[in-house]
Amino acid sequence: MKKNKDVIIETAIFMCGMLSIIFVISIFIFLFKEAISFFWDYNFIKFLIGKNWYPNSNKPLFGILPTIIGSFLVTFGACVVAVPIAVMSALYISEIAPKGVRNILKSLVELMAAIPSVVIGFIGIRTVVPFVKFFFNIPTGLTAFTGSIMLACMIMPTIITISEDAIHSVPWEYKEGAFALGATKWQTVRRIVLKEARPGIIAAVMLGIGRLVGETMAVMMITGNSANIPDSIFDPVRTMTATIASEMGEVVRDSAHYKALFAIGLVLFVITFIVNFIADLFLRKK
Amino acid sequence: MVDKIKVKNLSCYYNKKCVLESLDINIEQNKILSIMGPANSGKTTFLRTLNRMNDFNVNYLRKGEVYLDGYSIFCMNMENLRKRVGMLFAMPIPLPMSIYENIIYAPKCLNIILSKSEQNIIVEQALRDASLWDEVKDRLNSSAMKISGGQQQRLCIARILAVNPEIILFDEPCSGLDPISTAKVEESMIELKRKYTIVLVTNNVKQASRVSDKTAFFLMGKLVEINKTDELFVSPKKKQTEDYITGRFG
Repeated sequence: MKKNKDVIIETAIFMCGMLSIIFVISIFIFLFKEAISFFWDYNFIKFLIGKNWYPNSNKPLFGILPTIIGSFLVTFGACVVAVPIAVMSALYISEIAPKGVRNILKSLVELMAAIPSVVIGFIGIRTVVPFVKFFFNIPTGLTAFTGSIMLACMIMPTIITISEDAIHSVPWEYKEGAFALGATKWQTVRRIVLKEARPGIIAAVMLGIGRLVGETMAVMMITGNSANIPDSIFDPVRTMTATIASEMGEVVRDSAHYKALFAIGLVLFVITFIVNFIADLFLRKK
Repeated sequence: MVDKIKVKNLSCYYNKKCVLESLDINIEQNKILSIMGPANSGKTTFLRTLNRMNDFNVNYLRKGEVYLDGYSIFCMNMENLRKRVGMLFAMPIPLPMSIYENIIYAPKCLNIILSKSEQNIIVEQALRDASLWDEVKDRLNSSAMKISGGQQQRLCIARILAVNPEIILFDEPCSGLDPISTAKVEESMIELKRKYTIVLVTNNVKQASRVSDKTAFFLMGKLVEINKTDELFVSPKKKQTEDYITGRFG
């Protein structure tokens, strides 16, 4: 009898495990099906490097290069802002902060991760957008730069939490060994702790990037939503995700435009898949 | 004989519980002092006080003084003290890098700027002094995590030697090693006392009698007896010492 129960439970767990694989594969198939029919009508290369996104003109053009650049700019900017701050706060939390401060900080950071991205967008519109407009004296505060700053706030908790775990899991014995040789705290942190925790930190950054690429709401609200190739980081941009989100509601079903949006989705899926895959490689290396 | 370290009335507490009580010990230069005693007798606490590794523990409290060459160690810069007083732990813990880097790590940290050839000399000398050179000279760049436990422990010794300390503290260095590796570590200890002063904490009575010049016996946080090793093992003055070395308890 006991054996039967075992079999049932094992099967149930197996099914649950399989489900997640099935989900991923079916999402991919679904995206691929819609996207591929688009590429029958429209050249793939033209789609990727086309400079113009005019889905509604008489002779529609579906070039997603501006949105790819937009996504890239915002992501890159957010990384530049977030990574140093996040890694240093992770170091502070796990190596320097006294116990009480550490516990408060950790829960605050985790709380920060729970802020919905729409709310981040709100805060951005009310604070950072006017500030950027005024401070850099530009016609609009809705720029890639603004988006980068707000997204940096959004991914910081992810990076902090995961890097903190990585830093925390460096064995105390390594540090003790270094201290016993007369190394100072900073020398130990730099040469032992950071070195040991590096795979984990890189994985944290990659996961953060994965989240950035897929982020929609906040960027749609604060990056200006103009599908032109920006001259600098202080120009409005539109990301791939924002394109899909803002146009999906009005598009005619099964039109070329509709399928083009799915094709963007496929590109996004591939990008985040690669990023997560790299993160996984680093995590496994540890 | 010159006394390298003088300990005056040292008491140590964890969470206000006394683990080491008014201890007075002099440690002679270029000798091996071994400290034996059962678990919980304060041996390791004493050792970790000598290079202030206990300062990381917030529950730790200390009274009394320790003098190194006549200067109080508690007034010294902590990093400088640890450079002069190296410590070897019970478990061999190579740093996660190559054998070569393990040894050159500390000199580099201490900002002694070295040319590559000087580095090579330091590494070779340290490994030779720790009697490890012949075993690893062909694979200095392979990971230190891959060599055997006994080799790792000697690598840790070499790592300490590279900083050129005056005193080396051994905290049960052979507790995780097999007899042959133990013999090798002991061999290098005896070699090392020509240049360094050594304090060895050990659970192993035989080891104390084999390698040390002087032996101290700790029990329940108190120093029961300290004497020349030959005398202590032949004619212990205290009953407790005799019971311990003859294996009646502990």
